[in-house]
Amino acid sequence: MTAVIETPVIETRGLGKRYRRRWALSDCTLSVPAGHVVGLVGPNGAGKTTLLSIATGMQAPSAGTIEVLGGRPAAGPAQLAKVGYLPQNAPVYAGLSIADHLKLGAHLNPAWDAEMARTRIERLQLDPAQKAGTLSGGQRAQLALTLAVAKRPELLILDEPVASLDPLARREFLRDLMESVAEQDLSVVLSSHLVADLERVCDYMIVLVASRVRVAGPVDDLLATHHLLTGPRRDPGSLPGGVQVISASHTDVQSTLLVRTSGPLLDPAWTASAVSLEDLVLAYMSTAAADGRRNRHLEVQK
Amino acid sequence: MIWLTWRQFRTQAIIAFAAMAAYAVLLAATGPHLATLFAADGLDGCRGANCANLADYFSGSVTGGPYSALWALSQGVILLAPPVIGLFWGAPLIARELETGTSALAWNQSVTRTRWLAVKLAAGALTAMAVAEAFSLMQSWWAAPISQAVADGASIGVGSSRFSQLNFDTHGITPLGYAVFAFALGITAGALIRRTLPAMAVTLAIFAAFQVAMPLWVRPNLAPPDHVVTSVASLGSPASQAGPGGDSFTLSAHDVPGQPGAWLLSSGPVNAAGQATSATPAACASVGSTGVRSVSPNTGVFGPGQGPAAFAACLAGHGIREAITYQPASRYWRFQATETGIYLVLALAMAGYCFRRLRRRPS
Repeated sequence: MTAVIETPVIETRGLGKRYRRRWALSDCTLSVPAGHVVGLVGPNGAGKTTLLSIATGMQAPSAGTIEVLGGRPAAGPAQLAKVGYLPQNAPVYAGLSIADHLKLGAHLNPAWDAEMARTRIERLQLDPAQKAGTLSGGQRAQLALTLAVAKRPELLILDEPVASLDPLARREFLRDLMESVAEQDLSVVLSSHLVADLERVCDYMIVLVASRVRVAGPVDDLLATHHLLTGPRRDPGSLPGGVQVISASHTDVQSTLLVRTSGPLLDPAWTASAVSLEDLVLAYMSTAAADGRRNRHLEVQK
Repeated sequence: MIWLTWRQFRTQAIIAFAAMAAYAVLLAATGPHLATLFAADGLDGCRGANCANLADYFSGSVTGGPYSALWALSQGVILLAPPVIGLFWGAPLIARELETGTSALAWNQSVTRTRWLAVKLAAGALTAMAVAEAFSLMQSWWAAPISQAVADGASIGVGSSRFSQLNFDTHGITPLGYAVFAFALGITAGALIRRTLPAMAVTLAIFAAFQVAMPLWVRPNLAPPDHVVTSVASLGSPASQAGPGGDSFTLSAHDVPGQPGAWLLSSGPVNAAGQATSATPAACASVGSTGVRSVSPNTGVFGPGQGPAAFAACLAGHGIREAITYQPASRYWRFQATETGIYLVLALAMAGYCFRRLRRRPS
């Protein structure tokens, strides 16, 4: 990977959001690089939706700072024009037709790409005169996505875009999203609690558990530096330095470890095998619950 | 933004204009005939003492017929327009967007929330004011004969002075103030409660409370009232009195002598020293008779030196006078402007709050 020095699309420092007494997000420090399709993954309640709604200016943070494309979220028309947002459940105006929604986009966005919006709706085989309230969940998500991409943003933020879709609509939506990303020079952040959804489209992954970044990095790097080790039962502490144990499970005679290491594993006692992205993410999610405060800010060196 | 505002407001606007059109047709169809009746009773350009009788005759003949029903209906529409605007235009404006989640769609276009609200608020407020005022002006035109009859001295039947609560609330510029206030109130309730139906209920309750409290407690004190102490004899008939034959009495004025169209706030008898009193002077206790009180004072049979008139004369002879507190008719427009101003300031304050809230805590 070439080292790209660019402003991060989202950069937060100590970001927190409190609802009455409960902190939905606390002390969240992360940096989302530009030019990626970034998957933000974490269990329900990790603070993903809160983080993304702060990034779009729909909520104000209670603590900390956030910069989106170098600016304050929703600070003005220019900032709003740079960020496309597809909120959870893809809300649309039930009483307005698809054509009305496209007119809405055209009237409210100076950079609106009417041609793209029109061809997208055609390709989806939607009738422009149809009221948005009668669309299926998948169609509604597609309409909302059309609105978000046709304003030609630099950053597209999608919050659980496929959570409510059936498997087929899910696949179509993600394929469609990737086509849009390929056509435009677009950074994307999309959140999900299901790794399988993200695996297909993301090239960068951030695992967020209880407001903390557990691990973040390009998917290829993550897969290259994580290994599943199996061998005779022994204490994980006896592993050489530079090897970090992410999770461990033991039977009477055998130990299975998920480890991260930058160098090759030379110990012949262990059998190393590749790890799937899903297993990797799940390991980070489950250990987060177990060891709470240790290893708070893990980052993969690029 | 103007396109979206129009697109979302279109249905309400069409309903409002349809209602206005129906109202206009109804009044235009009946107004000329009412004016003909007025002229037929010899009231066109009437001057002189006889006008009050002619006006009474006209007013009495209209009462109970279709015109008094129309009069009540047309006044009712003007009274109802502001709360309907507050409920159906104001309350859903923000609440409905939050409720359906479309706020996230609306506020993520390349238009700031401040501008979004500014355009919607300006368009809605101007339309609300125009609609309320249009209803009021149409009704004023239609009811001109009835209002003129009241000004000429009609004291029975439909119609009442310009200061009466019903007339004050439906004429002049107050409907405009109520409409914009109700609209802003609805928006604010919606922004705070975030759900349309409860916001509508709260809007209605608060607006009704204002409409009750304003004429009862605020309006009479918008300017320090005038006081006059007048002789019992100068109280125009029918001044009501009670208690002949007893040891206490009441005496209240129905209008302010020499002050046509004035707003009478309170009245009551005072003694020679100027203090409020209700004790019947001993010499008058035997004047009048409790036995004939059930008979109408105008037709009742009283012995010589008996009855209400004799009682009033006896009271006057013992230094009893009537103290009246009132607002002169000349203050009508000052009161109209002040009350409308209060509602406009309240509406502006609520709008300012909505802008602040939308900027800081939109959802």
